[in-house]
Amino acid sequence: MRGGTGGRRVMAGLRGSLAARVTAMFVLIVALAAAGLGTWLYLSFVAEIERRDDLALLGKLRQIQLLLGRPGAAGLLRTQPDLFRDTMSGQENSLVRFVAPDGTVLADINPGDERYPIPPATGATPGRGAIASWTSRAGAPGRVVAGTARLGSGTATPTVTVIVARAYADRSAMLTRFRHRIAGAAAISALAAALCAAWMLHRGLRPLRVVARHAALVRPGTLGHRLEAGDAPSELQPLVGALNAMLARLQEGYARLSAFSADLAHEFRTPVANLLGQSQVMLARPRSTAEYEGLLASNIEELERLARMIESMLFLARAGQDEVAPASQPLRALDELAKVADFYEGMAEDRGLHLACAGDGVVLADPALLRRALANLLSNAVRHASPGSTIVLRAEAGAGGTTLSVENTGTPIAPEHLPHLFERFYRADAARGHGDASTGLGLSIVRAIMALHGGTATVHAGEDRVRFTLHFPAGGHGQR
Amino acid sequence: MTILLIEDEPKTGDYLQRGLAESGFAVRLARNGRDGLAIAREGGIDLVVLDVMLPGMDGWQVLAALRGAPATEQIPVLFLTARDEVHDRVRGLELGADDYLVKPFAFVELVARLRTLLRRGPVREDELIRIGGLEIDVIRRRVRRDGTPVVLTAQEFALLHLLARREGQVLSRSLIASQVWDMNFDSDTNVIDAAVRRLRRKIDDPFPQKLIHTRRGMGYVCEVEPAAGA
Repeated sequence: MRGGTGGRRVMAGLRGSLAARVTAMFVLIVALAAAGLGTWLYLSFVAEIERRDDLALLGKLRQIQLLLGRPGAAGLLRTQPDLFRDTMSGQENSLVRFVAPDGTVLADINPGDERYPIPPATGATPGRGAIASWTSRAGAPGRVVAGTARLGSGTATPTVTVIVARAYADRSAMLTRFRHRIAGAAAISALAAALCAAWMLHRGLRPLRVVARHAALVRPGTLGHRLEAGDAPSELQPLVGALNAMLARLQEGYARLSAFSADLAHEFRTPVANLLGQSQVMLARPRSTAEYEGLLASNIEELERLARMIESMLFLARAGQDEVAPASQPLRALDELAKVADFYEGMAEDRGLHLACAGDGVVLADPALLRRALANLLSNAVRHASPGSTIVLRAEAGAGGTTLSVENTGTPIAPEHLPHLFERFYRADAARGHGDASTGLGLSIVRAIMALHGGTATVHAGEDRVRFTLHFPAGGHGQR
Repeated sequence: MTILLIEDEPKTGDYLQRGLAESGFAVRLARNGRDGLAIAREGGIDLVVLDVMLPGMDGWQVLAALRGAPATEQIPVLFLTARDEVHDRVRGLELGADDYLVKPFAFVELVARLRTLLRRGPVREDELIRIGGLEIDVIRRRVRRDGTPVVLTAQEFALLHLLARREGQVLSRSLIASQVWDMNFDSDTNVIDAAVRRLRRKIDDPFPQKLIHTRRGMGYVCEVEPAAGA
């Protein structure tokens, strides 16, 4: 199955698969190497064969020269020329010609009527250099050599030229076979290399598949698992590490989301339980109109709380996804503080609180969002300030930007709560939180608004003073 | 004043029809866009309250059809939508809606907006508003109650002016926050309660007849209560 898949991948193209690409390169290298080696072996082999054949040819010439030197050789040459050919150990394709000094052909053993060139006779014992090549009628390669010899024994023996030629029909057939074998061997070694390479790559890439298999198992419920990097090669370790880091981030985000969902369900459950409970109690027996009216009014309050929570949730969700685009403009900080202070003045006065605005500076912000953030801070401050105290709203322009702060005297906030104050639904005082206008989202919204403006929201708590600070960077918000 | 209400959600349609009828409007209810369009084309409709999410033909299509015909293009349309993404509002307003309200909304706010839409055209600001023994000189920003001058802060005056201008209408807290303080988000409702309390201390407390009344669960109204209150 796997091999089939691999094969198909190769067919599908080299681009897609790493294994196919590496295999193809490997096969190419092996095929080139095998072909080169084969060619070299073949050429050496051919040279060696030719050398041996040439030596054999020269040997034949020597043999004939000896034969010619025997007594009565001249007569034999005239009467039984075939005898000389037979000395060529009966090889049909051996051709011999005897030429007298005056040029007359004494004998020509040439049954196939081959035409071959006559090389000049260089002496009694020619070397390999004197051998000439020719091609037989059948197209086979041939070699020819000429040498002088004395005919017969005695003192006045004439010198004749002996020409020995041979066609190597069987040799070219053999070399052809040899070539085919070399080509076949090269092809087979390439194929074997391909198979080996594919198998090795398949084995070599196993850690990658293991990683993929583990990654495929990751589900929301199994985010705690990590990919194993134990036997993975060093090249894969960074990948596994990065994937594990990603899983860790996902797990953290998911855990936060789950906790948030739980908080959300809890927060929604309370008003819904109130609605259900008091409505059912009211309907259990006949009531006066005033009681029904009271119920409805109370229900409306609960529903308004729900609506506010939904609205806040939506705002936070959108701000988190940068769907809220702040329409920033330069605003006089003190004006904005005064505006929000004015809004809360009645409520503050009811609780015997004083509001004081001070400072100066310009902030680059979306007026609606800024007002919302300040209103949330001031609402907190008014709710928690000690009666008779003063809440100070201050604006300070510095080199890094403008800082707005809301500071009140009141119940101290325990230091362990401080880092969590801006979290959704976090309440420093667990007993408080229901039955008033707070949704537990106000400070989260403040932080989201500041993030939209590229600024920060921080809280400082002293002995009995709590100060919330909004810092707007000088260059405007960085996100857009 | 006949209002055409196009709303497919049965409970919403029923309570809106009932509430609007009790607020003094003649109401025709259509449960889908096609029927609504047919009723609008019959004529006699002064205002359309249109839900965006409708089966078959949605609110955008109904609005486009209304604006595309001479007989219906002048009818004011108020959108009711559960979606409040900015591009949804922009799309509605571009198609020619006159106002929109995001669900969930306070019923009194719907009525207030409908009255505003029906009162369209240049609204003539009264220079002098009289409610019971209360006199508000809008130009000079002076207030007298039963002939006695009452000194109000700027915000108190703005709040009183808003309530008096909309005499007899219940104004929701969010509408008041938006109109008087320019706070356009669901803020602390206690803030409005405190502001109204302060205003009452000056306008109503010293006098036997009360003019500013709380409608629990809905908001505040400024009017001379009929006999029962006396």
